[in-house]
Amino acid sequence: MSAPFYKLGAFGDEASLVVAFLIGIGFGFFLERAGFGSAKKLVSQFYLTDLAVFKVMFTAIVTAMLGVTYLSWAGFLDLSLVYLVPTYWIAQVVGGLLLGVGFVVGGYCPGTSIAATATGKLDGLLFVLGFAAGTLGFALAFPLVKGLYTAGAIGTKTLPQVLGIPYGILVFGVVLMAVSGFVGASWVEKKMAAKAAPATE
Amino acid sequence: MASVTQDVVPEAAGEKARVAQPYMNPYLAGIGLGLVLLAAFVLVGRGLGASGAFNSTIAWLVSLVAPGYARSNEFLGNYLEGDTHPLKAWLVFEVAGVFVGALLSGLLAGRVAGSVEKGPRVSVGTRLAFAFVGGSLMALGAALGRGCTSGQALTGGSLLNLGSWVFMMCVFGGAYAVAFLFRRQWR
Amino acid sequence: MRWISKLSFNQKLGALALALGSLAVFANVAPGHTVTVDAREILTGVERQEDHVTPGELAAWIIEGRTDYRLVDIRDEKAFAEYHVPTAENVPLATVADGALGRTERIVLYGDGGIHAAQAWMVLKGRGYTHVYTLREGLDAWKDEVLFPAVPQNPTPEQQARFERSVQVAKFFGGQPRAAAAPGSVPMALPTQVAAPAVAPPTLPAGAGGGPKKKREGC
Repeated sequence: MSAPFYKLGAFGDEASLVVAFLIGIGFGFFLERAGFGSAKKLVSQFYLTDLAVFKVMFTAIVTAMLGVTYLSWAGFLDLSLVYLVPTYWIAQVVGGLLLGVGFVVGGYCPGTSIAATATGKLDGLLFVLGFAAGTLGFALAFPLVKGLYTAGAIGTKTLPQVLGIPYGILVFGVVLMAVSGFVGASWVEKKMAAKAAPATE
Repeated sequence: MASVTQDVVPEAAGEKARVAQPYMNPYLAGIGLGLVLLAAFVLVGRGLGASGAFNSTIAWLVSLVAPGYARSNEFLGNYLEGDTHPLKAWLVFEVAGVFVGALLSGLLAGRVAGSVEKGPRVSVGTRLAFAFVGGSLMALGAALGRGCTSGQALTGGSLLNLGSWVFMMCVFGGAYAVAFLFRRQWR
Repeated sequence: MRWISKLSFNQKLGALALALGSLAVFANVAPGHTVTVDAREILTGVERQEDHVTPGELAAWIIEGRTDYRLVDIRDEKAFAEYHVPTAENVPLATVADGALGRTERIVLYGDGGIHAAQAWMVLKGRGYTHVYTLREGLDAWKDEVLFPAVPQNPTPEQQARFERSVQVAKFFGGQPRAAAAPGSVPMALPTQVAAPAVAPPTLPAGAGGGPKKKREGC
């Protein structure tokens, strides 16, 4: 096992910060490439006119997931050393719903708002400021929300563990679901485009 | 209206026309993103994120004004432990990179311009207000959810993390549920 | 297979994904539970006494306030809560190789005696850990030599001086000297975990009071 390199002592904390910056550059680059610096494009996902959010997100998930699978299988990557956020399912259900609402209202998510600000979107900047304000508010109100924050804590759980389905089969399942989703997404987009411009049919 | 080919989004009529290149094929962009994520796993053993950087920054700002309170606050205190400067955090550097990377891509594609993204039926002021409010709502969601779309959906999703998939489904659910209510902002 | 060339670019990507996904069904991603032990390296290390530290050395490190190592208690949570060597962190034996401990960190393992720590040591050495040691004979020796040093019989001046020092160390950790007793006698009561030492303890860096340096890894 050679990877994750940092956790196996290949380089230190300072170097990992440089790595963070470089990885961030890649992240921001592809976000903007995909058009995610634009709130209109992002939000089109939820009006079914442009499902790029779904396509990009799930392609990324599938790519990384397959990469992780093959690299662990080959003995190169020690999966147990890759950090997994523990599950607090109640907090995460509520958090997810709030995030979804905020997405439609604000037009961005934290990462894309940075990309938007970088490319000159004033609403992106306002979103960033709003996010900062919300974070501060949450911190100040923490004693009140602590109960919800820790609700549904069940520790670190993966889908294979919880569903009792072998890892590889789930990976295949996710790929199948994603590819079917992509086919469906193209179909939906064409339908919505046809609806929007009936004169060109 | 341009025909929809290869997922190029047609410019909405009436909005400021931009001499910008079309966006990249979403599947290719997704592969690029996925490889960046994979690189993070392989190099550092962790995934991407964004909301954490905001937490660190807010913790730092509060500690400048009220250091004692900041350290004792259960949420912010986490980011102020030890002697390390709160901004010397992995995510802070990563988010700084996101800014640079997006700027780079935008410059290459001629997509950097001062503007406000909004639909034709709403004013700039309203849009900016919504952006701020939406951002604050998202912050609450991200704090409760332990992450946002990059940290939870992308990272946790690719690692088959239970909480991440639950979170991701709720994000889509919540967004679709209220999309109709806010349609005037966008279309 | 001409139909492949008839697919659009996106469809080719999809086909590739499905192919890779199907193959992944057979993947085995469990981290290896096997370790590779270099017998000669291990055994010479043991012979040269490079595999352990003595209670006296550990006590000195703690008093000096050294922070370049991690002291790991491999017993269960209950035992840890009842008493643990100050500055120790609890990583139960079964989880010792799970990733809480870095491969290049300086680590001192201890258990009640020496055996479990030695077993954990061997596993970690097999995983490529470069600076892992055991506390020789664990808590038993810690109690005997550091917490409750035995009063020497007919000491030479040198022995007496050494004993005076060890009494000071014992008092620092909340212990006290004992009369050298025959084996099997009633063991002395362990100091309560919050006993105030006579000497002010060295100030430990924030967060090191029994805890590892927390690295934020979430989103």
